[in-house]
Amino acid sequence: MGLFRLVSLVACLALTGGGAEAHAIVLNSTPRPDAIVSGRELAIEIRFNSRIDAGRSHIKLFGREGAAVSLPLDESASEDMLKARATGLAPGSYRLHWQTLSPDGHISQGDIPFRVDR
Amino acid sequence: MQLFIEIYGFLSVVLRGFILAAQSVSVGGLAFLLLLVWPLADALGPSGAVLERRALRLVFLSACGLVAAEALAAASLTLMLAGTLDIPVREAAEARAVAVDLMAALLGAVVALSAWRGRRGGVAIRSAAPVLAALLIGVQAGATHAVSQFEGALALAGAELLHMGGAAVWIGGIPYFLMALTDVADPRARAEIASRFSVMAAGAVAALLAGGLLMAAYYVGAPEALYGASYGVMLSAKIVLFLGLLFLGGLNFLAVRKLRNEPAGPLLRTRRFAETEIGVGLTVIFCAASLASLPPARDLPNDRASFAEIVDRLEPRLPVRLDSPDFEALSAALPAEATKDLPPGTQPRRAADIAWSEYNHHWAGLFVVAMGVMALLERMSRRLAPIMRHWPLVFIGLAGFLFLRADESVWPLGRLGLIESLRDPEIAQHRLLTLLIVAFGLFEWRVRLGRVTKWWAPYVFPISTATAAAFLLTHSHALTNLKEETLIEITHTPLALVGVAAGWSRWLELRLDGEAKKIAGFVWPVAFILAGLMLVFYREA
Ligand SMILES: [Cu+2]
Repeated sequence: MGLFRLVSLVACLALTGGGAEAHAIVLNSTPRPDAIVSGRELAIEIRFNSRIDAGRSHIKLFGREGAAVSLPLDESASEDMLKARATGLAPGSYRLHWQTLSPDGHISQGDIPFRVDR
Repeated sequence: MQLFIEIYGFLSVVLRGFILAAQSVSVGGLAFLLLLVWPLADALGPSGAVLERRALRLVFLSACGLVAAEALAAASLTLMLAGTLDIPVREAAEARAVAVDLMAALLGAVVALSAWRGRRGGVAIRSAAPVLAALLIGVQAGATHAVSQFEGALALAGAELLHMGGAAVWIGGIPYFLMALTDVADPRARAEIASRFSVMAAGAVAALLAGGLLMAAYYVGAPEALYGASYGVMLSAKIVLFLGLLFLGGLNFLAVRKLRNEPAGPLLRTRRFAETEIGVGLTVIFCAASLASLPPARDLPNDRASFAEIVDRLEPRLPVRLDSPDFEALSAALPAEATKDLPPGTQPRRAADIAWSEYNHHWAGLFVVAMGVMALLERMSRRLAPIMRHWPLVFIGLAGFLFLRADESVWPLGRLGLIESLRDPEIAQHRLLTLLIVAFGLFEWRVRLGRVTKWWAPYVFPISTATAAAFLLTHSHALTNLKEETLIEITHTPLALVGVAAGWSRWLELRLDGEAKKIAGFVWPVAFILAGLMLVFYREA
């Protein structure tokens, strides 16, 4: 935090930067961050520390060109998990972006970068 | 969109704080009426009716505030979900949290309506009050951490009820207690109210403590997490503020006991301590809203900072950095092409960047120490006072320093021209802020010299100091490294606590008289010196 962030807070304009984070955090995931995977298909699982509302969540896949695809979520996942499947993967770097809602109304989000090798 | 989500994250915490405050004042008012005003109606006589009407008015206003805040929370969450997930508004509005907000808004409307009718002589609120108060607290427990837990959800929700209920009866009850002290003319009845409120507050504190301990044991888990994880640091700050409240409550308790022995005794101190309790109480409530948005420490066993790491970061070390690294060594001096592929906020920090930031903090700290020392000397030495009372002018020096140093990429240090730099919204904001600090310093200076005579003018300084400190507690960092985040928080949280102490002791200095005024007048310059020293010894690595 820069000195100015601090002073700006002290001047009570707390809006200048950085939002509050929310409390749903990833306990473990497939793929793990910075994992190298092979194959054209990938089963994605993200497990959280608390219940989440899968109906109001999403997983997006960002490819090399930066174009994002929304992946359909698997309905059968348990209450603390998001599940999806990515298909037609070519070698290269990718990034999964997830966003989820806790039952108490907090929105959390995060990224999982990974590489596809063959 | 990303920026929108971040702003939403901050706004939702502020909104939640506002909701908790409004709910506490509504429930506190209903409890005060139920346990004090109605049962004591005979003893209070005609002043009891005046008190009842004024209390119902505040219940009405706070319930209206609750309705507005809950509606805003429901609407913003719905829009946020619909916007970020590309789902229809109806589907977004079916989220559980939206339902909880709408239910709370509805209940708030019922409370407001019955308070309104009660003011016009309706008696329905007398029988409805216990149910309404319980429902208001109950529905709010539906929007806490507890509902997202797998084990112990029921016990946690119970603890949450005790905690919020206790806070509402105690902190939410104080504004009504202040009203009673003003409205009830008969000294005997006033003493009776005061001693009954003491008992009520003590019971509420016990409930609050029981609920809080249960939640702390569950969410924090290990004692090391109280300082090693962000959740624990924030909780520790809350505990310190709570102890401050207990101290004020204790002073009040003593004043009330004195009141019983000499019912016609002076009320000034009781009132002033109660005012301060409201202010610190609101800070704790905002702290609670912020805590609810952090992941429980128990869920992050591997990202904790150790005791040794914290000591290493906090230990004052000499010499402090009063030499700045060269601009050429900073990341900001790198050609734009070198970092253009990285998203903002993820550029690696070099050793020189950290040194640069520490240097800036250290110099700013010296300005703050200077202000504290001058304000202290103003009070201690009659000979020096005429010079030292100009201490608010140091704010202008601080602003000048920030103007020159805060944005390293701008003239006179960087390559950007002064006018050119204003196109960057962040830099423009910083410049605006510098102006604000100048205005703030000049205003307080003129107040101290007696050139501004509006009655509210002296309160600008304590209120803005206390508010700024409360905001410093409310915010959390958005770094990806949780341990580093905790270490930064542990340097800032004490700063915020000292700020709360400074703001409210200056308030007491303005509002009290005699010996107590003198003591309060020493507390805040010392708090300023402490805050300055924390900045002087601030370290980022
Ligand atoms: Cu939450």
